[in-house]
Amino acid sequence: MKGKKNQVVYAIVVIILAILFAVYLFTISPLLSFFWFSGLFVGFILQKSRFCFVAALRDPYLIGGVDLTKAVLIALAITTIGFTIIKYWLVINNEPLIGLNYITPISLATVIGGFLFGIGMVLAGGCSSGTLMRVGEGFQLQLIVLIFFIIGSTLGAHDFGWWKKILMSYNKTIFLPDFFGWLGALALQLSIIALLYVFINKWGDKNTGKY
Amino acid sequence: MNLNDNKKYNFWFKNSWSYITGAILLSLFQIITLIVTKEPWGITSGFAYSGAWIFESLGGDVSSWEYFSKESAKKALNLGFLNHPYSLRNLGLIFGALFSTLLASQFKFRKVKSIKQVILASIGGLLMGYGARLALGCNIGAFFSSIASLSLSGWIFGLFMFLGSIVGGKILIRWLI
Repeated sequence: MKGKKNQVVYAIVVIILAILFAVYLFTISPLLSFFWFSGLFVGFILQKSRFCFVAALRDPYLIGGVDLTKAVLIALAITTIGFTIIKYWLVINNEPLIGLNYITPISLATVIGGFLFGIGMVLAGGCSSGTLMRVGEGFQLQLIVLIFFIIGSTLGAHDFGWWKKILMSYNKTIFLPDFFGWLGALALQLSIIALLYVFINKWGDKNTGKY
Repeated sequence: MNLNDNKKYNFWFKNSWSYITGAILLSLFQIITLIVTKEPWGITSGFAYSGAWIFESLGGDVSSWEYFSKESAKKALNLGFLNHPYSLRNLGLIFGALFSTLLASQFKFRKVKSIKQVILASIGGLLMGYGARLALGCNIGAFFSSIASLSLSGWIFGLFMFLGSIVGGKILIRWLI
C-alpha cells in the first residue's frame, strides 16, 4: 500500500515553517498573515474532502456521478445565505457595502471566457483550486498545468485591453437585489439552487448503475 | 507501530471527509474571508501578478498593459510577491494541501505518465488562464464567489463553463480512444 511510511514528522516540520512564515508576514501586516493562514486552511479542507469543481460540473454528464455537484450546490446555498446576511446587516446599519469586486459586468467576454475555462479545466483535469491542491499533493502533472495556467493568465492580462475594446464595450452589471430586493433576491437564488439540486438528484438516480 | 492499524490516527488524519463536510467548511471559509478581507475568495488574478513578476524578471515590461494600469495594480506590482495577498493565499493553499497529505502519510511525488498527458495539461492550463482573464475570474472568483454575491455574472459564467466542460469531455474522449 502506498504511503505506509509515517510522514507525520514532515507534516510537523511543514506546519512549523508555515507558522514561522506567518509570524514574519504578521510583522509586515496582520492582514497578509491572515491571507497566508486562510490559504493553508482552505488547502487543508480541499485535500481532506477531495473537493473538486471539475468533477462537479463534468461527472453528471460524463459518468452520471452527482455527489460533488450536490456538494457544490450546498456550498453555493450556504455561502449565499452567509454573504447576504452580512451585506444586509451592513445596509440596515448604514455601513458601506463590502465584496463589490465580485459583482462583475456581464459581457461576451464572460461567455467566451467561461467557455474556454470549462474546456481547459476538463482537459487539464483540474480547476484553479484543484490544480493548486494537487501540486501540494506532489503531482508533477498539475505543476505543468499551473505553469501554463500562469502563462495563460499573463497572456490574457497582456491582451486584456484589446478584448476590453472588442468584447466588453457592451456590458451590464446585474446585482440581483437591485431588481428583487434583498429578501427577494435571496429567495429567488435559493429556489434556483434547490431546483437544480432536485434535478441533479433525479439525474443521479436515473444514471445509477448505468455506467 | 503500523500506522494503518491505529484507529485514532486513521480517524483524525487519514480518513477523508465527506463532500458535504467540505462544502460546509468551504462556505465558512468564504464567510470569514468576506468579513476579514472585505472581499470573497479569488485565485486567478493572483496568477496574472505571478506571471507579471516572472515576465519582468526575464526582462519584460508590463507597465503599458491596460490590465495593470490602475494605480492599485501598479502599487501591488511594485510591492512584490511577499506583499501580495492573493499570491500568498494561493501559495498557502499548496502548503495546506501538502500538510494535509503528509499528515495522512500519503505524500508521494507522482510522475507524469505520458506525453499525451503533458500536452493536455499544457493546453488545459493555457485555456484556463486565458479564459479566466477574459471572464474576470475562474471557478472560484467568477463562479462560486460571484454567485454567492448575488451577481448574475456568476450564473452566466457557470452556464458557459458547464457547456465548455461538455466540449472538453468530448475532446478528451475522442483523443484518448
